[in-house]
Amino acid sequence: MSLLSIRDLSLSFRGIHGVTEVLHGIALDIAPGEKVALVGESGSGKSVTARIVLGLLQELAAARIDGEVRFGGEDMRGFSRQQFAANRGTEISMIFQDPTSSLNPTFIIERQFAEVIRRRNPGASREDCLRIAGEALAETAIPDVERVLASYPFQLSGGMNQRVMIAMALVNKPKLLIADEPGTALDVTVQAQTLQLMRQLTDEHQAAVFFISHNLGVVREFADRVYVIYRGRIVEDGPTEAIFADPRHAYTRALMAAVPRITGMGLPDIPERSDSFDAPQISHEGGS
Amino acid sequence: MSQLVGILVRRIGISVVVLIGVSMLIFAIARIIPGDPARIALGPNATAEQIAKLRGEMHLDENIVIQYGFFIKDLVSGDLGTSLYTNRPVTLDIAQFLPATLELVFLAGVIMVGLGLPLGILAARFRNKWPDHLVRALALLTVSAPSFVWAVILMLLCAYYLPLFPIAGRLSDIYEIERVTGFLTIDTLIAGNVAAFLDVWHHLILPAVALALSGIGQAARLTRANMVETYEKPYIEMAQAYGFFPHRIARIYAFKPSLIPSLTIIGLDFAAMLGNAFLVEAVFAWPGLSRYGVNVILRKDLNAIMGTVLIIALTFLIVNIIVDLLIAVLNPRIRHSTRVQS
Repeated sequence: MSLLSIRDLSLSFRGIHGVTEVLHGIALDIAPGEKVALVGESGSGKSVTARIVLGLLQELAAARIDGEVRFGGEDMRGFSRQQFAANRGTEISMIFQDPTSSLNPTFIIERQFAEVIRRRNPGASREDCLRIAGEALAETAIPDVERVLASYPFQLSGGMNQRVMIAMALVNKPKLLIADEPGTALDVTVQAQTLQLMRQLTDEHQAAVFFISHNLGVVREFADRVYVIYRGRIVEDGPTEAIFADPRHAYTRALMAAVPRITGMGLPDIPERSDSFDAPQISHEGGS
Repeated sequence: MSQLVGILVRRIGISVVVLIGVSMLIFAIARIIPGDPARIALGPNATAEQIAKLRGEMHLDENIVIQYGFFIKDLVSGDLGTSLYTNRPVTLDIAQFLPATLELVFLAGVIMVGLGLPLGILAARFRNKWPDHLVRALALLTVSAPSFVWAVILMLLCAYYLPLFPIAGRLSDIYEIERVTGFLTIDTLIAGNVAAFLDVWHHLILPAVALALSGIGQAARLTRANMVETYEKPYIEMAQAYGFFPHRIARIYAFKPSLIPSLTIIGLDFAAMLGNAFLVEAVFAWPGLSRYGVNVILRKDLNAIMGTVLIIALTFLIVNIIVDLLIAVLNPRIRHSTRVQS
């Protein structure tokens, strides 16, 4: 049974200029412990999908959401604000693009870590929190745990903050980790290191990962299965190797051609739009 | 900690320079405006000799630089000269009138911060919903009228038509309280007179609220604006994504980063109340320094003007130093600006 199952999910925003459709009935499954990537360009609907799973978008009056989202077998459609909030930080956690600006600049790491830990253990004392946070940070191979806990985010490097975010995201043993373009704001080597770390730790914790990215190179390294999204529709899905070995949808091929090569052939010429991009969804066999 | 001491020392140094500048400016202006203080003080029936004698005592015939030298010499020994209006040392006048004003301004400041910030938080927490609209409407209303207008309105409504509060003064005549500090809230406690203590508070509330009202609106609007901006920051989305309780996000995680830019303005508003107190004290017949200041300026009482202005400037500077220290405490980037990163 899948941990997260999305069926016919559509989303539109009511604005002054009428209704803007963002998602046109997407379907997606993530099995427990599985790493699934949702790949697409900016504005294709990747991030809003993640925020619907967290229940954050449901709070916007202008958002109209239809379709089924099941988490752990439970239909979240009728969820109240409190029910959504109960999952956040406990069963589902999230890692953001820029770790440094995702941490509050006016509180030390220890304080923010304690708030996350108390989501799972509301009665945890300061000592408990320090111990749990210390263990979680030690897992991310941070050398000087005490110093990091006593620091403000701006006193740490981007890579260090990313490790803090990963430790925070996993400290409550969530079943699902949503990673929204993690580390895009970091430089490439640090990004690679922290992705490696994230992969290793989510394996150890047996957490499923919903990985959102525009970068196929990163996705290839990280994900078990890939969904390619284009303008609010899933255009192709399947096991990572299958998609990379044999991309069948025109948009997937265009996206792959867009990954810069070291060989120095320059950026490929990709059309802004093409009728072939709107061709129906292609699903590869295999995988779950 | 050492950073805080450094900030304190630097700010005090700057404040001394500012005070010297203010004293020179006011000293010059007070002497440039037309009218002979000696003639005004002695009245229409004074003889030319009497006027000349007083001018001599006041060093009015000397060069203005030498006059300023005499002023500084006396100031250093704690003497601000004699007021021509009350015929008493200016220091004594200030000691008598300043506590009344400080009591009023301090309470108004507490009301401003105590109501303005929570209202701003409430509006930001429920932005674009009805609590926000209500707070914004009220804030606009209070900001739109100066404090002396509110003083008159409050006096009419809450003291005249509905006699809930006394209409004027600091203390009812029936109480005899020995002056120790000049702060009646403290002196009544020293005297152990609870009824008088409550009476002092009863007198304080209306003028303090009148003085605070526009500040409340200002503080609420400022807090709301800064917090709405903070709500767009990734760390607030992170807090929401981790299920932090909305009221905790508002009160703690969105409020603290927003308070830092608000605090400077709130500090200035607080200090500006000293100026606004002039008219509120006039409306409520409040025997404070501001009312004294108006009287001495009208009488061109040079020593008293200098004393009043210096004390008000000093209070301004002290408030600013406190605000700067508070910001340094709240903003780790300032506190740790000299720390070497490893």
